[in-house]
Amino acid sequence: MKLWQKTSLICIAVLLVIVTACSAVLLIHSKNSILELTYSRARDRQKSLASSFSEMAGYYIAENDSWTVENSLVNYCFSRFADSSSVLMRGDETLYSGVSVNPRAFLPLPENEYSMKIAEREIDGRNVLIAGSLVAVRNTSYAVYVVEDISTTYNSIVSLAWTFAAVSLAGILLGAGCIALIMHRSTRPLTSLAKTARQIAGGDYSMRADVHTGDEIGALAGDFNLMAEAVETRIAELMETAERQRLFIGGVTHEFKTPLTALLLHSRMLRRANMTDEEKDASLEHIEGQCEWLERLVQTLLKLITLEREIERRPCEVDALFDTVRQNTQKSLADRGVTLITHSGGGTLNCNADLIQSLLINLVDNAAKAYDTDAPDKRVLLTFSGDTIEVRDFGRGIPKESMERIFEPFYMVDKSRSKKAGGSGLGLALVKRIADAHDAELTVKSGVGKGTTVRVRFQ
Amino acid sequence: MKNRILIVEDDHAISDAVALNMQFVGYGYAVFDDGKKAADSLADDHAFDLALLDIMLPGIDGFELFSYMEKYNIPVIYMTAKTDSASEIKGLMDGAEDYIVKPFDVLTLMVRIEKVLKRTGRLNTVYRVRDIEVNSETRVVTKAGEEVELQPLEFDVLLTLLKNKNLTVSREQLLSDVWGYEYAGETRAVDMKISNLRKKLNLGDAIRAIPKLGYRLEER
Repeated sequence: MKLWQKTSLICIAVLLVIVTACSAVLLIHSKNSILELTYSRARDRQKSLASSFSEMAGYYIAENDSWTVENSLVNYCFSRFADSSSVLMRGDETLYSGVSVNPRAFLPLPENEYSMKIAEREIDGRNVLIAGSLVAVRNTSYAVYVVEDISTTYNSIVSLAWTFAAVSLAGILLGAGCIALIMHRSTRPLTSLAKTARQIAGGDYSMRADVHTGDEIGALAGDFNLMAEAVETRIAELMETAERQRLFIGGVTHEFKTPLTALLLHSRMLRRANMTDEEKDASLEHIEGQCEWLERLVQTLLKLITLEREIERRPCEVDALFDTVRQNTQKSLADRGVTLITHSGGGTLNCNADLIQSLLINLVDNAAKAYDTDAPDKRVLLTFSGDTIEVRDFGRGIPKESMERIFEPFYMVDKSRSKKAGGSGLGLALVKRIADAHDAELTVKSGVGKGTTVRVRFQ
Repeated sequence: MKNRILIVEDDHAISDAVALNMQFVGYGYAVFDDGKKAADSLADDHAFDLALLDIMLPGIDGFELFSYMEKYNIPVIYMTAKTDSASEIKGLMDGAEDYIVKPFDVLTLMVRIEKVLKRTGRLNTVYRVRDIEVNSETRVVTKAGEEVELQPLEFDVLLTLLKNKNLTVSREQLLSDVWGYEYAGETRAVDMKISNLRKKLNLGDAIRAIPKLGYRLEER
C-alpha cells in the first residue's frame, strides 16, 4: 500500500474515533439536560399544584364541614389549579384525574411522608413521568400527582441522535476526502523523486528531480540532485577513461598488425619462394627492421603501462641527466648530422631520473627528426634554467592543425616520414604522461619553417 | 597479356613482399607509398586490372582513392589493419570487390586476386613457362607451338603450379585443389602426376621438389 494511502487511512480512522466519541459525549450530555429539564418542570408543576391546592383547601374547608361539603370543596379547590396531567387521590379513591392511568399503582406514596417522589414508568409502551406527594388538609391525607407523557421527549432525543450521526458521517466523509487529497498531494514530490531515481538507475544519468517544495522533501530532492550530479560526473569520467583505453588498445593492435603482416609475408616467402640471394637479403633486412621496430614499440608501451602506478622521485643532478641523454642520442644525432647543445648551469631536479631521461631522449630525438636531410646548421638546444627544461630546434615545425593532436597516442603529423624514421607515434604521448606523472607543465610552441620549442616546467 | 596490379601501401616491408609475389607468379605491377602520388599517376598510366589499396595512407586515404579507381574502372581489394566491421562495410558498400585484413597470408591474397580478376572478366587465361603455353579456358597445352596431350588431372596439377609460379605448393594443397579432400593422404598420386608432367613437357629441372614442403615451378 502506498504511503499516502496508509497515512490517509490512519488519519481517517483517528478522525472517525474522535468524531464518534465527541458526538456520543455531546449526545449523552444533551439527553441528560433535556431529561433534567423535563423532570424539573414536572417537579415544579407538582410542587406548585400541591402547595396551591393545600393552601386553598385549608382556607375553604372548616373543621365541622360535612363529608359531602368537604368533598366538593376539595374537588373545587383542586380543579382550580389542575390541568390534563393532574391527579388527586385520597387513599385508593381518585378524586380528580386528567389522565387514564392510576398513578398510585405505579408510584405509591407511603403514609406520613410528605416529601415529593418522582419516577419514570413505562406504561402501555409509552414513557410516563409521575411526580407525586402527600398533602394533609384538616387531618386528611391527599395524594397530588402530576402524570406526564414524555415519549415525545424521548423521540426528540432519538431524532437528535440521528442528526448527530448524519452530521458526523458527513464530517467524516468530507474530512476523509480532504485528508486523502492532502496526503496524495504531499507525497506527489516523493513519487516524482522515485521516478527520477528509477530513470537514473536505468542509465539516464542526466535526469534530475524537479521538486521545489521548500520542505523536507524539497531538501531531500536537492540532496538527491547533488548525488545524481556526482554520479553523472563520475560515470562520465569512467566512460571517458574506458573510451581512451579502448582507443589506445585499438591503436596498439593496429600498430602491431602492420609489422606482423610484413614479418609473416617475408618469412613465408623466404621459406616457400624461389628467391635470388639479393631478394633473400632484402627480405631478411625487412624482417630485422620490423623486429627492431616492434621491440621499440613494446619498450615504449611498457613505460606507458609503468606510468599507471605512482612514480618514485629523487633529487637528480641535471648535468648527469643531460649527459645520459647525450649518450643515448649520440648515434641517431650523428647519423642525421645534428649537433646537440646543452646548457644547465648545474642544479638539481626532484624527479624520476629514468622517466625524465626517456622524456628528454624522446624530445631530443623528435627535434633531430625535425630537420630535412639537406637543412643547413642542424642544432638541438637542451637547456635548464630555474624550474624549466627546454628542448628547441629550428626545423620544419608543426602545422597549426596538428598541434591539438600531437599528444594523442599513435598520432603522427607525417605518417610515412615518421615511420621511415622509426617512429611509433607514441613518443609524445609518453612525454605527456611522464610530465603529468611529475605534475609538470608541458608547453609546445611551433611555427612551420621556424622550428619547435618544447618546455617542461616542474613545480 | 600479363595482368597488371596497382599496389598502394605506405609500409615498404609489406609492399616489397606483395610486389615480389606478384613478380613470382607473373603479374605486372606498380607500387606507390602515397595515395596522392598514386592518384596523380593514374592520369598517365591506368592500364591496371586490379588495385590493392591500404586504407590508412599518407596523401589521400584508401577510401578516397577509390573514386579514382572507379573513374578508370579498376576493381579494388582493400588491404586493411582496421578490423572494425564499420570500415569493412564502408569499403564494400562503396563498391570494392573484396578486402583482406592484416596480417594476411600471401596465398590467400593470390586466391582473392584471381577470384576478382575472374569475376570481372580480366583474368589472363593463358599461362606461360618457357616455351609452354597453357590456356585455362580451353584447356589446351602447347609446347613450342605443338599441342601436347595431358590427362585432366595432369592438366590441373600443371595449372596449380603455374598459378603459384616460383612459390612452393605442398602435396596436400595439390591433392585438395586437384583431387578433392577425400584423397587427403595419398601423396604418391601427386608424385606420379608430377613425374608424367616432367616427362611430357620436358620440365625436369623447372619443377623442383622442395624437401618437406612440396613442389615448385621455377622460372625467373
